[in-house]
Amino acid sequence: MELQFNEGERAFREEVRAFLLDNIPERIRQAVYEERPLPRDWMIEAQQILNSAGYAVPHWPIEWGGRVWSPVKRAILAQEIDRNSVPKPLPFNVTLIGPIIAAFGTEDQKQRFLPGIANLDIWFCQGFSEPNAGSDLASLKMSAIREGDHYRVNGRKIWTTYAHEADWIFCLVRTSREERKQQGISFLLIDLETPGVEVSPIQSIDGFHHLNEVQFDDAIVPAENLVGEEGKGWDYARYLLGQERTSMGNVGFSRRRLERSRALAGEAAGERSETLLGDADFLRRQTWAEIRLKALEITQMRVVASAPVQGADPKTSILKTEGGELLQEAADLLLDTMGPEALTAGFPAGIGPEEFYGIDERSGILSAYFSSRKYSIFGGSNEIQRNILAGSVLRLGRKR
Amino acid sequence: MNFDLSEDQVLLAEMVGRMLGDHAANDRRDPGAEWRDCLGQGLIALPFAEDQGGLGGGHEEVMLMMEAIGRNLSQTPYLQSVLLAGRVLALAGRMELGDLLDGAQRHCLCLYEPGQRYRWATPATRAERCAEGWSITGAKVSVPDLDDTCALIVPAATAEGLVLFLLPPGISGVTLDIRPAPDGRTAANVNFASVIVPVDAAIGDPAGNEALLAEALDGAVLASCAESIGAMERLLDLTVEYCNIREQFGAVIGSFQALQHRAADMLIAIERARSITIYAASMMDAPAARRSVAVSAARALVNRSSRFVGQQAIQLHGGIGLASECAAGAYFQRLTVLETLLGDTEHHVAAVERSGGLLAA
Ligand SMILES: Cc1cc2nc3c(=O)[nH]c(=O)nc-3n(C[C@H](O)[C@H](O)[C@H](O)COP(=O)(O)OP(=O)(O)OC[C@H]3O[C@@H](n4cnc5c(N)ncnc54)[C@H](O)[C@@H]3O)c2cc1C
Repeated sequence: MELQFNEGERAFREEVRAFLLDNIPERIRQAVYEERPLPRDWMIEAQQILNSAGYAVPHWPIEWGGRVWSPVKRAILAQEIDRNSVPKPLPFNVTLIGPIIAAFGTEDQKQRFLPGIANLDIWFCQGFSEPNAGSDLASLKMSAIREGDHYRVNGRKIWTTYAHEADWIFCLVRTSREERKQQGISFLLIDLETPGVEVSPIQSIDGFHHLNEVQFDDAIVPAENLVGEEGKGWDYARYLLGQERTSMGNVGFSRRRLERSRALAGEAAGERSETLLGDADFLRRQTWAEIRLKALEITQMRVVASAPVQGADPKTSILKTEGGELLQEAADLLLDTMGPEALTAGFPAGIGPEEFYGIDERSGILSAYFSSRKYSIFGGSNEIQRNILAGSVLRLGRKR
Repeated sequence: MNFDLSEDQVLLAEMVGRMLGDHAANDRRDPGAEWRDCLGQGLIALPFAEDQGGLGGGHEEVMLMMEAIGRNLSQTPYLQSVLLAGRVLALAGRMELGDLLDGAQRHCLCLYEPGQRYRWATPATRAERCAEGWSITGAKVSVPDLDDTCALIVPAATAEGLVLFLLPPGISGVTLDIRPAPDGRTAANVNFASVIVPVDAAIGDPAGNEALLAEALDGAVLASCAESIGAMERLLDLTVEYCNIREQFGAVIGSFQALQHRAADMLIAIERARSITIYAASMMDAPAARRSVAVSAARALVNRSSRFVGQQAIQLHGGIGLASECAAGAYFQRLTVLETLLGDTEHHVAAVERSGGLLAA
């Protein structure tokens, strides 16, 4: 065992950190640190800077921009990006659709999409969830009927993050009715400009608009936009689950939040002592969160260092729930540094993000507190993860 | 002991519930209209003594009112203008209470200051005597429900001690920075630059003002607990309703034991909050120090329950819980604001700690 980063890994971390600090504009890092939503062009700007250094898609195949870096190095990169308040490369692009096209797409699809996905010249959003297919994703209904050289697409996707900013959407669609609901699902790429596709906004409780509903009414989609084989969509979606786990624990992000809560509590007045950080109660919670973070960092590296398992991998579920819960705990702590000033730190209700910017350097905290509830809901809720751990892993209540 | 409501209390609860419920059912809800209805129904006068023009309602009546406000997510500034500012006017025996009771004027109490958390008793805002009366300079933060039509009550340090100043709306030297609050209401930061007021703008007696404010604040904190309880109960109802209609995996999600147990835990958290709040209500006539500790114990536990209930209500709703169109979010937001409004968990637990705990109480 080698329980610490070796010299090469430490040098790599320094190199990454120096690059990020030198090249990502301060205004972008400041906005990320304060958890204010970024304008679209800032996200693109940041991803293009990362991509120019080979930092956007190191986990991809080499011919499409990947690097021959160990998983440990990739995890270090992901952590440094988050920790230094650099916007993550758009996950829908680089961890979801990119690897799917790279693994299952046609040569044409790879040529057409992968460079743009890596460079965020093409912005993809994820069309999996439907009004009646959330945790039970396989019950999805959106249909794509093959008619000659195209599909006729009807149905509705919901909770589609960034659909209003995106150029394309990748969808799980039903291409045939089969005995098992996991069968007959296919993976389709759809240009959001297609007639019959309509994106409508869903306002969320953090005061912003990131979520959308996407309605498809007789949208005609070229058959060449099918990824892989018809009816194999579910397998491709599951393939994703076992893939990029180097950033799944969000450890860099939790660290950034905890560094911030420690800093803010050091400046805030306390109840029992001069500063809030000196308050036994707050300090104990902050410290417990830091202890959990350290464990999570190690869990993250254990997962990274182990070979991916196909199917239910307990480590993935543990990493996802622990990572999400720690982000939530850190958001609780951030909220609790504000005392009565939480009320006027700034909340984007009824005003656009532009006006909301910079009201107060803590203006993003309340939004972040509310929106952090999502970490235990999306991408397989904490209840679903625990069902996996209890059922597939511990085999509770099942015959051996 | 007897925890039953009297006949009059039942009637009051029904009346308020119906009135605010009607407003809640209105798509174009108007907090101003709710305030006017409260006025019309005598609810603004409810907590004040009869010899001051009030109806002589006690803490129990106020709590029924506040529970209904919480349950219906009413944005009427009752807590601020009746229970805080109005109570200060009443305790100080000021004539201006009449303006509140007849609807001519709404008042707001400016308690907190930048970077000082909940230390309202030692303000950095100062007032000096001058030829015209007093000159006030300083800043207050996070005054809920304040708009430019409101009169202000401003605690300031003076050479004579803590003085409360009553400022009419629009007075020169006062600037309001009104911001949207996370619960759909507004709150303001207020700046005072050499604000000149006449001698009779000073309310109360400097030697007694801290105790006066503490008494008003304790009553308001107790009332805020009732609002949180009303909001939590409704939020749990909404959550249970949703769990019983939402289907996944061919069953209503309310049939999944993990969610059943969570909802049961939410119920336990709410009942805990209700009991400690009843305890605090029973201590309102106790000596000031014991009263304050009881109120702090209540708010601390109500805060803790609110956080659990609010967060878990969103969890049980799944994605839709994050959408503004779903009512759960608005309850979660209001509960979160109530957690910080009149002392957060840290503040109130510290107060109970300082008193030496509750076993002797
Ligand atoms: C902020 C945000 C962004 C999102 N972005 C996207 C996106 O870009 N693209 C996309 O496709 N989707 C997206 N989603 C959707 C997300 O993946 C779903 O919300 C998630 O799968 C849960 O589904 P649901 O919302 O329908 O909740 P439901 O499945 O209805 O769940 C409701 C509750 O029931 C529980 N539950 C369900 N089944 C069980 C069970 N068997 N046992 C115990 N408990 C159970 C859940 O844990 C939850 O608490 C996003 C969601 C959020 C909140």
